[in-house]
Amino acid sequence: MMRLLTKTTLYFLLAIIPLLAAGGFYLFYQFNKELNHEMDAGLLNDELQWVSYIAEQTENSGPFILKTPELLIYPVNDVTTIYPRITDTQQFQAIVNANVPYRQLSHVLFIRGVPYQVIIRKSKVQQSVVVSNVTRVMFFVFTGLFIITLLFNWFISKGLWKPFQRSLEKIRSAELQKMEAIYFDSNTNVKEFNELNTALNSMANKIHNDYINMKEFTEDAAHEMQTPLAVAQSKLELLLQDTNLKDEQAAAISEASTAIKRLAKLNQSLLLLAKIENNQYETNETINFNTITTKYIRLFDEIIRDKGVAIETQMVADFNIRMHPLLAESLVSNLVGNSVKYNYPGGKILVSITENKYSISNTSYLPAIETALLFKRFKKIRAEGDNSNGLGLAIVKKIADTHQLVISYHAENGMHQFIIEKNN
Amino acid sequence: MNLQAGGGRGLSLQISIIFMDMKILIIEDELALQQSIQKYLEHQGYVCEAVGDFKKGIEKINSFSYDCVVVDIGLPYGSGLDIVKVLKEIESRSGIIIISARNSLEDKLEGLEIGSDDYLTKPFHLSELNARINAIIRRKNFSGNKIISFQEIKLHVDAMRVTVNDKTIELTDKEYQLLEYFIVNQRRMLTKPAIAEHIWGDEYDQVSNYDFIYTHIKNLRKKLMDAGAADYIKTVYGTGYRFTDN
Repeated sequence: MMRLLTKTTLYFLLAIIPLLAAGGFYLFYQFNKELNHEMDAGLLNDELQWVSYIAEQTENSGPFILKTPELLIYPVNDVTTIYPRITDTQQFQAIVNANVPYRQLSHVLFIRGVPYQVIIRKSKVQQSVVVSNVTRVMFFVFTGLFIITLLFNWFISKGLWKPFQRSLEKIRSAELQKMEAIYFDSNTNVKEFNELNTALNSMANKIHNDYINMKEFTEDAAHEMQTPLAVAQSKLELLLQDTNLKDEQAAAISEASTAIKRLAKLNQSLLLLAKIENNQYETNETINFNTITTKYIRLFDEIIRDKGVAIETQMVADFNIRMHPLLAESLVSNLVGNSVKYNYPGGKILVSITENKYSISNTSYLPAIETALLFKRFKKIRAEGDNSNGLGLAIVKKIADTHQLVISYHAENGMHQFIIEKNN
Repeated sequence: MNLQAGGGRGLSLQISIIFMDMKILIIEDELALQQSIQKYLEHQGYVCEAVGDFKKGIEKINSFSYDCVVVDIGLPYGSGLDIVKVLKEIESRSGIIIISARNSLEDKLEGLEIGSDDYLTKPFHLSELNARINAIIRRKNFSGNKIISFQEIKLHVDAMRVTVNDKTIELTDKEYQLLEYFIVNQRRMLTKPAIAEHIWGDEYDQVSNYDFIYTHIKNLRKKLMDAGAADYIKTVYGTGYRFTDN
């Protein structure tokens, strides 16, 4: 993962390497050609000078041989070449103990009517110096370019990308409930950023509207349902007042009334879930779970005693968390309630609270909850006489998830345990 | 004087010490619900008036005085919350109960903050509404008699003391609440969920089924009868209980 600018710079540099190499090669080729040309001209000139010098010096002598490391003249019988031939060659040099490249001119010409083979050589060592020079220059250019682009990269990302960074920061801190307060500046001096920010603005706007619509719809639907339920409930209650009713008739009406109550509760639970999902329970309040747990244990005290359930509480430290009191109560009452409801007469409940860990275990005849069904809506434990709506643990899970809490479940030796841990 | 629809004996006179001429205004736009509430409350001895929208509600509260106003929040032509505000502005002494389909804490707090005495979420049991109205009227009526009674049983509300034939009997908190609920809703059929919810609250059904209240009723009945009271708690099998003398 790298910055966009680093990436473009890298591609740019990668593209420039062959270009620089080609440039270097061409430069070298041109230099070489030029140098050879110069050298050849030099060789021809040398030959001319030597020949006229020798012709002058050997005016009265017979045939001769001249031999220096760079010059060789000796008489030959047959005239093989009449044009000078210039070639590249190697010659061993004792000083450096290696073959050294030479440029060599070989020519047969007549001095005072006698054919002579003339060979003149010139070292090409400087030429390899030129090559290394060219390479070095290329290297410097490349490094310079690299450093300058990196510096540019840094400066540009500091300045040019500022509007982008600002938008990014806004997106990061965006909250679903406060979408209408977000505005992305679409008046920067970069066209792309303006386009991006305009798009972001319309997106934020749409999200806000959708959110409001959905929120209102969910709430309105839930509330609209409560009124007819209230009507039905009240009519059944009035009907029950008829003293002429037979017991079975009264029981049937009462059951219908209970069903309506359950429907109303289900409706409220679904609304609660939706509202948690919509983050409608923002708060700055810090809640002490110990207090709430104690409150609910006291509230359920009679039932606990009536069932003969032994409850043990180990509150080592305060478990504090930022949470809306309603959600905290919902979470604790669900867990404590379940531990009582699904317990058996004479069973046990163990509540253990430390600073970062909140745990409730209880005995139960029920088998362990399957992981796949745990915390799933309506996947309730089918227990006899159970009037739960199967949303309790889903609500617990949802509350935990939205408050950086990790909830886990273990079942061992007939003990069912729920653990809530702070995720930090 | 006799406000009881079904009763014709001395009990009505005793009840009326508290309920007599107590006027209730019901402001609820859902006609079927409005009628249910009115019928139930009239059965219990209240004088009820009912209207179905905001304007009529405002007219009523400006023209008459009520002991208690039961008001829905969502009304045609205005909000029930504004009716509560008007009641406070005119320094009405009536008790106020908001009945609303909204169950959120914010709505409840707002309702109570502007001066409502109670907040009940739909759907509710009529017996619960009746008990709440009764409690508010008792609370507001400082000069009034704070004893509710049924035949030989008397509840001294302030002291939370119960006497049978002027002899004090010891009841637990729950038994006291149960008896109070029974007497306030006397002769009415009270379902087990309604009783459980009144005494143990909304969370009750998270813990147990409704069979649990049987123990409490059995104990209450025994204590009352041991003290010499008649057996007023009639069990309707599979349904609930009725506190009645016939």
